Amino acid sequence: MASSMNKDAQMRAAINQKLTETGERERLKELLRAKLIECGWRDQLKAHCKDVINEKGLEHVTVDDLVAEITPKGRALVPDSVKKELLQKIRTFLAQHASL
Amino acid sequence: MKMEDMSLSGLDNSKLEAIAHEIYSDLIEDTCLGLSFEIHRSVKCGYFMLDETDSESMKDFEIVDQPGVDIFGQVYNQWKSKECVCPNCNRSIAASRFAPHLEKCLGMGRNSSRIANRRIASSNNMNKSESDQEDNDDVNDNDWSYGSEKKGSFKPAGAKKRKSEKNPNSPRRSKSLKHKNGDVSTNSDPFKYNSSSGISYENLGPEELHTLLTTQCGVISEHTKKMCTRSLRCPQHTDDQRRSVRIYLLGSSASLPEADGSTDNDSFDVVEGQTLMSRLQWDGSSDISPSDSASSKASTNNSDTRKPKKKKPSLLAVASSGGSNKKKKPKPPAPLTPGMYSELN
Repeated sequence: MASSMNKDAQMRAAINQKLTETGERERLKELLRAKLIECGWRDQLKAHCKDVINEKGLEHVTVDDLVAEITPKGRALVPDSVKKELLQKIRTFLAQHASL
Repeated sequence: MKMEDMSLSGLDNSKLEAIAHEIYSDLIEDTCLGLSFEIHRSVKCGYFMLDETDSESMKDFEIVDQPGVDIFGQVYNQWKSKECVCPNCNRSIAASRFAPHLEKCLGMGRNSSRIANRRIASSNNMNKSESDQEDNDDVNDNDWSYGSEKKGSFKPAGAKKRKSEKNPNSPRRSKSLKHKNGDVSTNSDPFKYNSSSGISYENLGPEELHTLLTTQCGVISEHTKKMCTRSLRCPQHTDDQRRSVRIYLLGSSASLPEADGSTDNDSFDVVEGQTLMSRLQWDGSSDISPSDSASSKASTNNSDTRKPKKKKPSLLAVASSGGSNKKKKPKPPAPLTPGMYSELN
């Protein structure tokens, strides 16, 4: 059990390293960013932030507040098509490097 | 999804799927975090709310789309109907035409001195019949039917009537200067005219013609086709013009009458510079020498363009040679149709 966990962690670390090394991670991030701006996700979150900020007052807003507000909402608001496209790209990457 | 994964790798397909989702949520969180930082920064720097305006103030800048008003909701300004009254001649002139009118009316610009001279002459001149003599040109001139046609109130019954009704200061009147070369110089002494200026030579018998030509200038105007009735020494026309008219009307044996021969050279010195200038301006279109009329026989248009070049050297010679008979040559010439003299040679 412990060995399999260890092996799992090793594998994840190797995959993440590979993602970063090849630059695939940056590419995916840029793609996701563009897609999210395109579909209005960013504007929706900004509008939501505006409400939060107005509520709390401009001076008292912290990054933690914003992260706490944005992350769950952001996850939920990602359109299915974007999610599918991104997952497909990740799978393709994993398949290419499955020999690891 | 599962099918694809199984085909990709048999053992770890569920694990790979989990890893893929993990990477995906990592990316989403990264993006969310990035957005959070960005918004936080813009809030703290104060530009987060910049693109915000409340709807009430937006209404002030709404584009108005209604008939009769422009996009700012202002009433359409009909400047077209505005008219200005000229302080000089008291006419009302459309605003868009006011500046050019004023320039002419006040006598600025290129023709200022001529217009001014003319205006002084005509305003001093209370005898209307005299100014009518000047205007005989205008009445018969096809180029210049503007005044009588445009203004319905002015009855074109006779030149005198039209003349007396017209404001003497109007620039419209002075427009005829363009056609009447050199008449200006005589305006200072309008009484030189007699009432029968503009004799049409066709109607005269040979006797009358002869007596007329021995006592009067007789040069035929281009525009009115009438003869100058001033004295033989009238400064408006040159001796050459007088001579050629006599040749044309009386035959080649005719020559200039004695009066011309005794003309004093000094009397023309005053107008010498001015007339030289005017000759240059008018391209020497009158003052026809035999060689010119020969060349103009073929095509008058062509000779017109060539003449200035031809004339200029002789002009300089005239200017430099003093006291000779030639000196009288450059008089302000009344434009003569070149074709008129083409039969001479």
